[in-house]
Amino acid sequence: MAYSLIAPALILILVISVWPVLQSFYFSMFDLKLNSPTKSETHLSYSFDLERYLDNYPFLVGGIDNEIRNGHAKEELQRVKTDLQALDEEIRKNSAVGKNYDIVNDKLLNMEKINPSIALLKINKKTAKEFQKTTEQISKNIKKISKETKLSQGVKLVGLSSAMKQVVVEPTFIGFKHYEDNLTDKRMWRALGNTFTFTVISVFLELVLGLAIALLINKAFVGRGLIRATILIPWAIPTAVSALMWKYLYDGQNGIVAMIFEKVGLVDSMSNLLTSQAGAMFSVIFADVWKTTPYMALLLLAGLQTIPSSLYEAASIDGATKWKQFTSITLPLIKTSLLVALLFRTLDAFRVFDLIWVMTGGGPANSTETISILAYKTMFSQTNFGNGSAISVIVFVCVAIISMIYIKFLGRDLLGDRSGK
Amino acid sequence: MQKKSSFLFYVLLFVFVFVVMFPFLWMLITSIKPMTELFGDKAFTPFTTKPTIKSYMSVFLDYPFVRYLWNSFVVSAITTIYTVFIASFAAYAIARFQFKGKTFILGLVLSVSMFPQIATISPIYIFLKNLGLTNSYLGLIIPYTTITLPLSIWILVTFFRKIPYDLEEAAKIDGASMMQTYWKVIFPLAAPGIFTTAILVFIAAWNEFLFALTINTDEKFKTVPVGIAMFQGQFSIPLGEIAAATIVVTVPLVILVLAFQRRIVSGLTSGSVKE
Repeated sequence: MAYSLIAPALILILVISVWPVLQSFYFSMFDLKLNSPTKSETHLSYSFDLERYLDNYPFLVGGIDNEIRNGHAKEELQRVKTDLQALDEEIRKNSAVGKNYDIVNDKLLNMEKINPSIALLKINKKTAKEFQKTTEQISKNIKKISKETKLSQGVKLVGLSSAMKQVVVEPTFIGFKHYEDNLTDKRMWRALGNTFTFTVISVFLELVLGLAIALLINKAFVGRGLIRATILIPWAIPTAVSALMWKYLYDGQNGIVAMIFEKVGLVDSMSNLLTSQAGAMFSVIFADVWKTTPYMALLLLAGLQTIPSSLYEAASIDGATKWKQFTSITLPLIKTSLLVALLFRTLDAFRVFDLIWVMTGGGPANSTETISILAYKTMFSQTNFGNGSAISVIVFVCVAIISMIYIKFLGRDLLGDRSGK
Repeated sequence: MQKKSSFLFYVLLFVFVFVVMFPFLWMLITSIKPMTELFGDKAFTPFTTKPTIKSYMSVFLDYPFVRYLWNSFVVSAITTIYTVFIASFAAYAIARFQFKGKTFILGLVLSVSMFPQIATISPIYIFLKNLGLTNSYLGLIIPYTTITLPLSIWILVTFFRKIPYDLEEAAKIDGASMMQTYWKVIFPLAAPGIFTTAILVFIAAWNEFLFALTINTDEKFKTVPVGIAMFQGQFSIPLGEIAAATIVVTVPLVILVLAFQRRIVSGLTSGSVKE
């Protein structure tokens, strides 16, 4: 019974979260480029592109016939034509490809849309290599002929014949090459370094400030509800929107925060904030601290409020100092809340995308480019899905390692069955 | 802890609130300044003698801002309703029944909530593209499940555990079936918790950026965060409009937060506080 209640949620999680991660890992082993027709899908084996072939072959033969009729390089072209016809014969006879030959040809003649499942056919490696050899030879010959003799449609023939070379689609599987490339790529390490810098500094500041604020407001005072609401506002605003807001506040000419920082002496010149490398990193960290410190304070406050005040009373009767009370009562008792808050904040900071994307776009000179931004750029600006997926898998592995470290500290507290029975 | 708060305490409190609120106050001021006072010397004056609503008019007239708001609302609302519905069953089972693999399922839910979105985006994008679902509401609702479902299960489990078990037992003794017990006894008691979860899920979906940026690129289907982020042109930043748009988006959230702050806080902290 319990399983049937869980089933829908579990299936959704498996389909929408777990499957894509595995699929990302699978993609990462292919040379997958969405803007390149032969590389837009994952191919484990060789295949034959019947559509492309039939889109070329008749025109190529027709073109050659034309040249022969016009008396250009008669003998050589006749030889090429024989080769081509032999290849065509071979293809028609091939058991994998031949069966769809007429179907695809008819559809092409009728200008119908062709489903890749009937036009893109798997062939074995040996046949593929033979076809490749023949088509390459043909294309080479035509190129040679067109150089030696003046043909009336030389350029067109060369074009058609070199397109013939692409009828054999090579497998895009490349194994762990993307990982190899990335792990030796300076840009990747720099992005990873930026991510670590951002995560460590901002989470550390958030923890210290958040704890201070939590201790401050863990008192009964007038207007507590209002303070809580204030705390929640930065958390509730979309990160992208607050990033844009900070971008404006940091502006080198009209930004008030930039001006304040300059007056205080934090930066030499207002314009350094978003345009210098250190300034940009400082700016994104500051904006992140502003946005999430209150949230951290809230989580810690909730932990503080579970500590019975009698403990403090007893401690102060025993003569414990404030500091002693803090280290031997407060800290141990909020350990779990502290670690959970830290875990979630660290992972959030590590995955950071929107804040930096909107504020600096990873610039200047990639100084704020985090690993998520690098993965996004690789996937959607360079449309290199294979490599982008490899980077995103690296992000995933890092996140997994971070969580494992925390969970080791948390032990089974997090998953322990706290049922109210 | 019951000591009277000192003067210093209020000073610190005031500083804290001021720092937190300052950016919004400044945005509010900027949004009502006339164009000429946004740049140059006047950019730093905290008041204006000639307040105007021109920036607000521009946001609604020059940009498809209403459209963005509507898109965000539709996507977030549908996501919220369907995720919370599914999650409530799962959370109920996890909180109430003993069964094999329970710790594993909880672990899975927790780890999925930690998945970096960037690691799921390429398959999801290709999948949605092949189905023709990019630039549609469904195209965002499907991937948002990744974020919202683990979140809601996690929060709801805590709420369900707080409901005394005796009530269910009483219902069972009276001969109610499990579904009857769920709908007639548990659900009404859990309603505040479910509502709290719904608010959190709604905010999470409303604020999502990466999926929205990638999947719905058409102007007609952009959500608010993406729409506002795209306000900035290549060479210019329309300061007044950005300020006005920020205020328009912030105000409803502020109202929501003010109205439900107790619930939001209890939802946010339910996963982290050990009782």
